[in-house]
Amino acid sequence: MPRKSQHTHTALTRRRLLQGTLGGIAGLATWQGWPHLQVAMAQKGEPAGQMTWAVHVSIAPTWFDPAETSGIITPFLFLYAMHDALVKPMPDNKMAPCLATKWSESADGLTYDFELRQGVKFHNGDPFTAEDVKFSFERYKGAGSGELKKKVKAVDIVNPYHIRYTLHTPWPDFLTFYATPATGAGWIVPKNYTEKIGNEEFKNKPVGLGPYRFVSYQSGLELILEANMDYWRKVPNVKRLVFKSVPEATTRLAMLKQQEADVTYAMYSMLGEEIRRDKSLKLEPVLIPGNEWGSFVDMYDPKSPWHDKRVRLAANHAIDRQAINEAETLGFSRLSGGIIPRAYDFTLPLEPYAYDPKKAKALLKEAGHPNGFDAGEYSCDAVYAGVVEGFVNDFGAIGIRAKVQPMERAAIQAAQKDKKVKNLTRIGSGAPGNAATRIEAFIYSKGTFSFIKDPEIDQWFEQQSVERDRKKREELLYKIQQKVYDEAYFIPLWELGFLCASGPRVAVSGLGMIPLHVYSAPYEDVQLKS
Amino acid sequence: MHRYILTRLFYAFISLVLLSITIFVLIRVTGDPVVLMADPGAKEEDLQALRVELGLDKTYVEQYIVWISKLARGDFGKSFMYRIPVFELYLQRLPASVQLAVAAMAISVILGIPLGIFAAVRVNTWLDSFSNIFANLGLATPSFWLGIMLMLIFAVNLQWLPVQGSGTFKHIIMPAVALGLVFTSANMRLARSAMLEVLGSEYIKLARIKGLTENLVIFKHAFKNAVIPVLTFACINFALILQGSVVVESIFAWPGIGRLLVEGISSRDFPVVQATVILGGVMIIIVNLLVDILYAYIDPRIRYGQ
Repeated sequence: MPRKSQHTHTALTRRRLLQGTLGGIAGLATWQGWPHLQVAMAQKGEPAGQMTWAVHVSIAPTWFDPAETSGIITPFLFLYAMHDALVKPMPDNKMAPCLATKWSESADGLTYDFELRQGVKFHNGDPFTAEDVKFSFERYKGAGSGELKKKVKAVDIVNPYHIRYTLHTPWPDFLTFYATPATGAGWIVPKNYTEKIGNEEFKNKPVGLGPYRFVSYQSGLELILEANMDYWRKVPNVKRLVFKSVPEATTRLAMLKQQEADVTYAMYSMLGEEIRRDKSLKLEPVLIPGNEWGSFVDMYDPKSPWHDKRVRLAANHAIDRQAINEAETLGFSRLSGGIIPRAYDFTLPLEPYAYDPKKAKALLKEAGHPNGFDAGEYSCDAVYAGVVEGFVNDFGAIGIRAKVQPMERAAIQAAQKDKKVKNLTRIGSGAPGNAATRIEAFIYSKGTFSFIKDPEIDQWFEQQSVERDRKKREELLYKIQQKVYDEAYFIPLWELGFLCASGPRVAVSGLGMIPLHVYSAPYEDVQLKS
Repeated sequence: MHRYILTRLFYAFISLVLLSITIFVLIRVTGDPVVLMADPGAKEEDLQALRVELGLDKTYVEQYIVWISKLARGDFGKSFMYRIPVFELYLQRLPASVQLAVAAMAISVILGIPLGIFAAVRVNTWLDSFSNIFANLGLATPSFWLGIMLMLIFAVNLQWLPVQGSGTFKHIIMPAVALGLVFTSANMRLARSAMLEVLGSEYIKLARIKGLTENLVIFKHAFKNAVIPVLTFACINFALILQGSVVVESIFAWPGIGRLLVEGISSRDFPVVQATVILGGVMIIIVNLLVDILYAYIDPRIRYGQ
């Protein structure tokens, strides 16, 4: 009987040894090299990984459609991901050419020509042309649409990559409205697709030109996007973006610590301190164009103490703004003497009123209130009651007795708009624009939220609205702001330091990359660590 | 029996009509929703155009009639915020709320009833005292605080459980405990009272006199009678848990109906709030109706009005 070959009984043959060794080396190399491979792939233009944002709002589908952009910054959290604009703020330029490669204004100020970027396609493959630009403008019904439609006489397609806007009369703020987040009119959607699917369905299945394409959306809960490999600017670094709605701030912090989220917003006060303490997390304050101030509702009532400028000045000198800044935003807000962000065009930089309780008491005494007075209620959005309490406490120290009146957001907005608030009210605005747009809303007597009736200011404002000479326009706007300061028409507080945070996996969060932009952007630049 | 059921149905219908009027009026007292939907600087004509689009320009009576007639056809309207039919939105969120309610109910029954039974059997002992303290703590502890503490300990510090979300067994543990604790305490107290009452009854004394073991007396004779009111209470509570988990769903970002209701109230999304409350009311009324019918079936004295 032939002997069985030894090899058939032995588990380890030379072939098997060689196979096993090579396999082990390959496995080890892959295991060790995989992160580097991922980075290499990402560096070569292949997006990788997933990044999660825990956002503080319920995600509404109206924010996926540029046509419904309201005058707040929240829609841009999503627009920067899914869509693109002819011109928009970018890290190196507050009016960066994007879908428009260049533009020009005619000598008479009546026409604006835009040359469009060629070879760009929507997420569904439709080519981007001037038809889409015209369509997007015509369907726009969000913030500022009334003003735009009133002032723009015609939108003409010169050729598929050249579009012309013609105005009725010269309008110095046309680009402020069209080329900044003041409106969403310059953000482009595909004409053919939108007409086919309808405006309402578009919100649930948006298609755009942005660095990320829509994947899925659970109403109010979660939005998932995936990298657009054909994005004209660059291929994004991260493959998948997930936005989760988590209204509760402590939950967002817990998610960050547990790495269930990579970036989160609105981490105020003690939560911000906890992030600062935790070495694995990074507190990333963003200075945003969100000013807060108090308004004297009754100052035109001769019986009201606020009618006297000395009393208004006393209120301003009574506030320890730095203490409130430290308590609420860990000192990251920028104290201000005005209500307009310093980075806006035509803003007069004004230093905050000095904290001087002695001077405040002296002013009150001079105005005939040596023992202070009852100032009534100080109404505010309940979310900001902490800040207003700081004001009220400081008032109390000099004898002005006021009571915080927190209200639900919609209620306070409606009350301020309808002028149904009394005594004092807290107002805040993060609306994009320039000094003129802020003045129009809050200082010009016909402004929606204005409690000021100053004919001289009104006259200056109306003059500047048609003034094409930049220097002269600036002078007029500076005069308005200086008068507001001298007359102490407001109790200005700060430009808000919006406290955001990122987790240990994040290399580039996108926070603070675009000046005055509140949220992470541009999304094609965000990055995870290897 | 038929007459009894018809009478109960009639009262249920009246309750729903009153509920519909109450929620319709109360949500409108909060103010004008278009203020939140439009640009903060929107002019009055823009706001009015929005009101016309949403049917809010009509009088309250007209709006109510339109709403009720649509409701009768099963049309709950379209969400102002999410722009999809409210019923579709409700059905998207309902499974998550049902899961949470079932889990919370299971915890409250599995923990509460045995604890109550043992407290009754060992009345005036340390077990009874412990159960009382537990019940008091459970009833007094706010669910939002408990939820945050659970999150801090088990998710952040120990990292045993995920912070938020849904989809797996691990996701449901903390929200279910936070929600179920108060009902555990309530079930425990009710089980204890019911058991004490049953243990004091004549037939139990007879069973003991006959020489049955204590275990047999408790688990075969006393337990079944004592658990009936507790289970009835638990069934009614199920509907309440389903609708009332607003705080826990917000803390844990649980994608349920409670959270939908909060979102609707915050954004003055009238159709969402109205539909959520009405459907919740329907559920509670149906559960109560079924319990009434069941009781009437079991106890003839009830259906004959004695």
